Amino acid sequence: MNWESTLEFARGPFFQVALLVFIAGMTYRLVAVLALGWKADKVKSKGSKVNGIAMSFAKGILIWPFIPWVKNTFTRNPITYLAGGLFHLGLFVVIFLGAAHVLVWKSLLGFAWFSLPQPIVDWLAAGAIVAMIALFINRLVNPVLKLLTGPAEWLNWLVVFLPMVSGYAMTHHVIPEYDTLFAIHMLTVDVLLIWIPLSRISHFMFYFFSKAIHGSDFGKRAVTP
Amino acid sequence: MPEETIGQHLKKQGISRRDFVKMCGVLVGAMGMKFAPPLEESGLPAQLNNVRDSASANLIANALETKQRVPVIWLEFSDCAGCSEAITRSQSPTLVDLVLNTITIEYHETLSAAAGFQAEKAKEDAMKKYAGKYILVVEGSIPVANDGVYCTIGGRTALDLLKETAKGAAAIISTGNCASFGGLPRANPNPTDAKGVWELITDKPVVNIPGCPAIPEATTGTIAHFVVFGGLPELDNLHRPKTFYAQTIHDRCLRRPFYEAGKFAESFDDEGAKKGYCLYKLGCKGPTTYSSCATIKWDQGLSFPIQSGHPCLGCTEPNFWDGGGFYQGQSAPLAPPTVTMAGAAVAAGAVLGVGAALANQVQKKGAHAEEKKEG
Amino acid sequence: MKSQTVINTFVEKTGAYVAAQLEACTRCGMCAEACHFYQSSGNPEFAPVWKIELLRRAYEQRFTPVGKFKVAFKLDKPVTDEDIAHWSFIDYQACTMCNKCSMVCPMGINLGPLIHTVREGLSDAQAVPADLKAAVNKQEEIGSPLGVTDDVFDSRIEWVADEWEIEMPMDVKGADTLVVFSSIEIMKFPNNLAAIAKILNAAGEKWTLSKKGREVVNFGFYEGNDKLTKEFMNRVFSAAKELGVKKIVVTECGHAYDALRWTSANLMDVPEIEITHIAGLLGEYVKSGRIKLKPGALDGNGTITFHDACKIQRRGSHIQEPRDILNILAPKSFREMTPNKEESICCSGGGGVIAIKEADPIRYASFELKIDQVNKVGAKTVAMACSNCRLQFTDCVQHFNLDWKVAGLSQLVADALVE
Repeated sequence: MNWESTLEFARGPFFQVALLVFIAGMTYRLVAVLALGWKADKVKSKGSKVNGIAMSFAKGILIWPFIPWVKNTFTRNPITYLAGGLFHLGLFVVIFLGAAHVLVWKSLLGFAWFSLPQPIVDWLAAGAIVAMIALFINRLVNPVLKLLTGPAEWLNWLVVFLPMVSGYAMTHHVIPEYDTLFAIHMLTVDVLLIWIPLSRISHFMFYFFSKAIHGSDFGKRAVTP
Repeated sequence: MPEETIGQHLKKQGISRRDFVKMCGVLVGAMGMKFAPPLEESGLPAQLNNVRDSASANLIANALETKQRVPVIWLEFSDCAGCSEAITRSQSPTLVDLVLNTITIEYHETLSAAAGFQAEKAKEDAMKKYAGKYILVVEGSIPVANDGVYCTIGGRTALDLLKETAKGAAAIISTGNCASFGGLPRANPNPTDAKGVWELITDKPVVNIPGCPAIPEATTGTIAHFVVFGGLPELDNLHRPKTFYAQTIHDRCLRRPFYEAGKFAESFDDEGAKKGYCLYKLGCKGPTTYSSCATIKWDQGLSFPIQSGHPCLGCTEPNFWDGGGFYQGQSAPLAPPTVTMAGAAVAAGAVLGVGAALANQVQKKGAHAEEKKEG
Repeated sequence: MKSQTVINTFVEKTGAYVAAQLEACTRCGMCAEACHFYQSSGNPEFAPVWKIELLRRAYEQRFTPVGKFKVAFKLDKPVTDEDIAHWSFIDYQACTMCNKCSMVCPMGINLGPLIHTVREGLSDAQAVPADLKAAVNKQEEIGSPLGVTDDVFDSRIEWVADEWEIEMPMDVKGADTLVVFSSIEIMKFPNNLAAIAKILNAAGEKWTLSKKGREVVNFGFYEGNDKLTKEFMNRVFSAAKELGVKKIVVTECGHAYDALRWTSANLMDVPEIEITHIAGLLGEYVKSGRIKLKPGALDGNGTITFHDACKIQRRGSHIQEPRDILNILAPKSFREMTPNKEESICCSGGGGVIAIKEADPIRYASFELKIDQVNKVGAKTVAMACSNCRLQFTDCVQHFNLDWKVAGLSQLVADALVE
């Protein structure tokens, strides 16, 4: 097997299977959790749950990232805060606004959107990689994270790190064989896609639920979440 | 005729020594002398070693002057004759003339004056006369389905002819993507089960010069290498001469700075296209395509597809017809799941999820009962 | 097997609410930085996320394919009885369920309610610290964890009425408002009883006490014992129904307010009676002019600050009312601590922690954060609207030899009433 046929496999049938596994797996996770049943909240609300939910998301996305020092998580654990933020920012920009990935979306969805200039995407990608390394070290150093981190966390880290590094290496042609890196990138992406439903990386889906639960609980009590 | 040396032949053609050395210089460039094997191995006198670096052109000139012309048999199977056309119309008199003067084409279906049994006889004679010495150039893929009946010449199948001709060949050069990797005839669903030469002939050295058509300079450069050194140039894992296929189009592309700057043409007639921005988003396969289009270019170095405003199709790579649409992004998945497939995946996930949740609901209800049993 | 009981309870209690939040956790460890017990001790096991580790393991092992795989291949440790004892320690003694952790969780996980679920499991397995369990039993048997029996209640109320010369209506049918004191106030802060009575009378409220519903404190809620929680709440609700009141006022008690106002309807059928907290009621009176306060009454006695209680402010929303009042009483000397309001740092005595003798060292250590906070604003008086906080403050003021005055909000209002 050479790299070209590996690439063809990783971009073709393997990617297709991985994506379908991802879709099926995430649907499974979502349905399995939601179908456990919600208990209706019979407590009379004081404030508006909807406002609470809106505030909860607004704070998470629009407010805290821009005034981080208000939170004692920023002052007490800046590495997790900053590196975590940078990692997610970099990841989202690269995945949704990088030229190459926009073409993937176009192929998958039939439509696409603008892409950012290469240097911006590139620096953010580099930032995300550095952030991941910082998070790795933080998990080795921080006493709480040492306690919380098991094989699953290290595996998750690796599975996310590999596609990022191979993608970065690919755009920077660290070795002349572009298709070798492309094949590695695609293989790791496929593994990631399959791994997500099996792991905590799926938190991006449950984020919307936990954040909404938080917001509605606080909104119900008329407290700013 | 072939018994005379190349030098004698050229003199007879009225080519001066000065012009000849000039042509050899072009040849040196085309062959990428960096990859030339040690001289002893290629049957050249060892004393020429000292001139190798400083005067490669003279080295080639000396070699050509003393060597005999190489006989070539050119077979066409499932092809369009485009590679032959490219060679004859390459408008590159120095190099192509030189090469055509260093070889004798004993058989070529499109070019030979003779036809029918006469031509076939000439081929059989050449095969006998130069057994073990001739170069076999193949153009076009070989259909093997149903015993190869989809391509026959003079009542014999392509497969049969190839095997027969290959037997006495010193080396085989597959020119064009069809002969190399199956090309267009091999595109899905490949009804004739078309194959490239190197899949069928494994006991002879096979060089692939893929392209659609193959860059004439790559074909002639490879032949010239054989003429000069008596052997084949260094090949990559797809049997392509590294001289011409060591770098991607992307690596040498004149639009590369726009790629780096994130400036892309979004359609063929937008402002970006007019300004010559990168064609990546229009499906350019440059980053994964190994070829020297961007350096040798076409029509005497006039232009090449990307320069003229069209994305690279990736014609030097295997399965380029099936490797995603020509205008589909190079990074796009080759087989994106269809809506039906995605729907099926969602349905499967939902069914499994509901099943799991129901089982878990039962577990929840029985939590205490289980405890009592165990207790 | 205690561990089996705990796991089974977790399995029973895990619905989409719990599961979705457990699934959202990325184990980033941010919640630890919000926890006063972790901050003061540096013990990583006090991280809120670790407090729900058993719940997570139960969920993973019993509900998810990955967990079942891990169990089948022995990649995950089974929960042992030692684990139960350990988690009983960290969940009861190192957690006040103040829910500050949910304020910093990037995923917005509501850790407080999840830790409550853990306590429910531990309660089912009878893995509750002895001191807390004793208090719960006492409330079950005699109606109050602090020994306020019928007789004690009668005599205390009578004494307060005499001592402060104030009317304390008892079991008045047809009253509008049922006021339920906590036994902490009855036994330790009787001046609060008098203060509240004085304010209600001044406001012209038709209010009453009830002998049957005399205890608002709910130690069953601390324990995570659903059955007792309901029973204790039912005492108050049935008293309210019998008296036909329209409103129940929870006095200066935090968790009781959380239980009665924000939880009861999801546990049992509750009568259509409005439930409010005295802090909210005071704010309402002041705003509507039913009581008048002497402006600046507290100025001139050094800086005064307000301690936000987790259940009354962060989880009860009465954030603005105390501030409105203090801005009238001490416009010049009222200063805010940071962080404050819904982000405030817990007193470290709530959630039943103060009832557990063993937890004293952790509780005192954690209070040092509060000392820092108060010292930073240089306050001489710390006001609060929660008698559990007040008990903790009073105890710690003694323990650390501090020169602060600890005051209940009602008491400050009562003292500044314009008669």
